[in-house]
Amino acid sequence: MTAQATLIWLLKIVADTVGQLSFKAAANISEENWFSHWRAMLSDKWMWAGIGSYVVEFFLWLALLSLVPLSLAVLLASFNILTITLGGRLVFKEKLTPRRCIAITLIAFGVALVGWA
Amino acid sequence: MRRFYLIGFLILLCFDTFTQVGFKIGAIHTAPPGFDWAWVQRLLIEKWIYFAILGYLGVFVTYLTLLRHAPVGPVHAASHLEVVTTSVASVLLLGEKLTYIQILGGALIVAGVLVLAIGSPTKREGISSA
Repeated sequence: MTAQATLIWLLKIVADTVGQLSFKAAANISEENWFSHWRAMLSDKWMWAGIGSYVVEFFLWLALLSLVPLSLAVLLASFNILTITLGGRLVFKEKLTPRRCIAITLIAFGVALVGWA
Repeated sequence: MRRFYLIGFLILLCFDTFTQVGFKIGAIHTAPPGFDWAWVQRLLIEKWIYFAILGYLGVFVTYLTLLRHAPVGPVHAASHLEVVTTSVASVLLLGEKLTYIQILGGALIVAGVLVLAIGSPTKREGISSA
């Protein structure tokens, strides 16, 4: 991978992680019924942070795809499983079970092999 | 019910793979990615990007339909198996080549996804990364 493609991939992973964590923060708002839940979510800043991240990610993904093969890009994009799992641990104190540690370690090694082979 | 999951899951993978292949074709047509207005204009008039967005809507509807009936953990983790179908489609349809080391890397990623799918979060814990 070229330096440009690597940088775009890193930014894509950041945008993805920020987006998912933002959506999770917005989804955590608890309201009585469906309507008030959605109204509260749509007026929440994290919802819009999530949508903004997704728009950024859309452009980064298209840019990445025009630089590297699709097969490579989808495999490298799996790295988001690791960053989102760790982000969930840091931000929301989600459980990091031994099984999840094994899973994200496997994914990290897999992505490393795909990217730098 | 097993059959419902299986068929729903296959439809999900089809939509997902179609979307990614569509984005790839759109990206080829709009290269190079200049991050400037000219590039954005090329993206806006590229029909494959719109096909891909339609495919994404299919993914969304199928995913939510599956979630309605199945616990989130396995569905979310299993949805990552799109990496397999998309890679295979890239090789077959787009003529891409993967080295043996990259295939080994892909296998490790799939192994990780399967470990996540088996050790799925409980319904109570909810969506952690979907």
